[in-house]
Amino acid sequence: MDLIRDVLDNQLVDRHHRKMGKVDGIIIELRDGQPPRLTDLETGATTLARRLHPRLERWIAALEQRWGAKRSEPLRIPWAKVRQVGIDVEVDLEAEQTTALAYEQWLRNHVIRHIPGGR
Amino acid sequence: MSKLLEIALGIITSIGGFLDVGAIATAAEAGSSFKFQLIWAILLGTVCVIFLVEMSGRLAAVSKHSLASAMRERFGFNFYILPLVAEIIVDFLILGAEIGGVCIALQLVTGISFQWWALPVAFTVWLLLWKGNFSIIENGVSFLGLVTLGFVVATFKLRPDLPSLGSGAIPTLPQQDITHYLFIAVSILGALISPYLFYFYSSGAIEDKWDESHLNINRAVAGLGMGFGSVVSLGVLIVAALVLNPRGIQVDSYEQAALILTQTFGYWGFILFAASLGIVCFGAALEVNLDTAYIVAQAFGWNWGENLHPQEAARFSSVYTIFVFLAALLMVFGIDPLQLTLFSMALTAVILPVVITPFLVLMNDQEYVGNYRNGWISNSVIIFTIALAFVLAIVAIPLEILGG
Repeated sequence: MDLIRDVLDNQLVDRHHRKMGKVDGIIIELRDGQPPRLTDLETGATTLARRLHPRLERWIAALEQRWGAKRSEPLRIPWAKVRQVGIDVEVDLEAEQTTALAYEQWLRNHVIRHIPGGR
Repeated sequence: MSKLLEIALGIITSIGGFLDVGAIATAAEAGSSFKFQLIWAILLGTVCVIFLVEMSGRLAAVSKHSLASAMRERFGFNFYILPLVAEIIVDFLILGAEIGGVCIALQLVTGISFQWWALPVAFTVWLLLWKGNFSIIENGVSFLGLVTLGFVVATFKLRPDLPSLGSGAIPTLPQQDITHYLFIAVSILGALISPYLFYFYSSGAIEDKWDESHLNINRAVAGLGMGFGSVVSLGVLIVAALVLNPRGIQVDSYEQAALILTQTFGYWGFILFAASLGIVCFGAALEVNLDTAYIVAQAFGWNWGENLHPQEAARFSSVYTIFVFLAALLMVFGIDPLQLTLFSMALTAVILPVVITPFLVLMNDQEYVGNYRNGWISNSVIIFTIALAFVLAIVAIPLEILGG
């Protein structure tokens, strides 16, 4: 498995194959005298923005703290929860119960449902 | 039987997908200004687009991933952000131009200025996306698109001189107006090889749940559908060359273009032109708007799909809801639809290299296309198209300034 090619930026799906964002970051723990260890995956707009530019990360974080679901913390998924890595990365979670869909849920409840025909 | 039906339906759909405000405007402009001399540009663009559309469909059918998702996954987000942002900007201008095309059609028929129609048209586009599903968008509107065959009928009725048509198939430079000529050539290629078509087509293949068994349908639809679409474009060019060129009319507004069918069909030709323009642009507006929602949702891994209820894909449906009204504002502010069309077609040419180059990698990657990798012919066509795209990208902006 090639972490950058096969994991980073790939589609993240939950155990029912519901799309829950993409793998925006990979957390690797460096340990003294031992090989580095892959611990978590991260998904969230701030993680993604940081990869483009640190300033963009601050802007996105400020925006997310003020608007909508008011969540700027990325979701960390322990590597142990990863079930399968193909083109998609499947994790053993329930998407709707995580914060990965915070903005999806906020838009659904605050905007989409209030437009006629949206529910 | 159902396979045949599916192929027939797919072909009709892709005629609709192929034709849009850009294809009609650039062909009319080419015919009225340079007679048959730019036929080669339509033929060249058609060959490129047939191959690239076939590949987008094959990629989606085999990998179950759309072109946009595959680009982001394979090359990483830091690369994909480039084609993404470029495509959103181009989609915004093209959507404005398509809405403008519908508004002009309504203006031609009713006499009420196009600016007043922009928001009602945008609302109708949104309503169809909101309440409808993919097959309504795909099949309903494109069936109406058959009205454009009027251009082909007119071509036959006008009896063009075949040898001079044939000579237009070979690229030559005109005696004068060389920059304008090259500008139109670039715009034609930009209008035909339009990236939104590839993104849309591959997302559509996933909406229709294609798999390996659909590869033959894909090939037929790409080849015949785009081919027929190109025949209609050629029809527009030829009719414009035979009707407008001898009178010295150069198409610098849609009102003038509206006259091209009146010689053949009289008053009804005028109505036929308005109907063709309106329907084609309306269909394309639906596609471009949906396309933008597709590429944004796929960029971030959101849930997406026109067959889903809006609340099942809240972020996806928010994108097309906001985008269509923003694009309609271009028309509300009274930007000239024809100028906007020609400008956005040339701009499309600028972004082509970043969109087409990834095809070469993806279509040869076993992870994505398995045993259905490109053969040497397809690869040669992509390499040729990439080279062409680079040339177009470099010359488009200077030509825009000099010849637009």
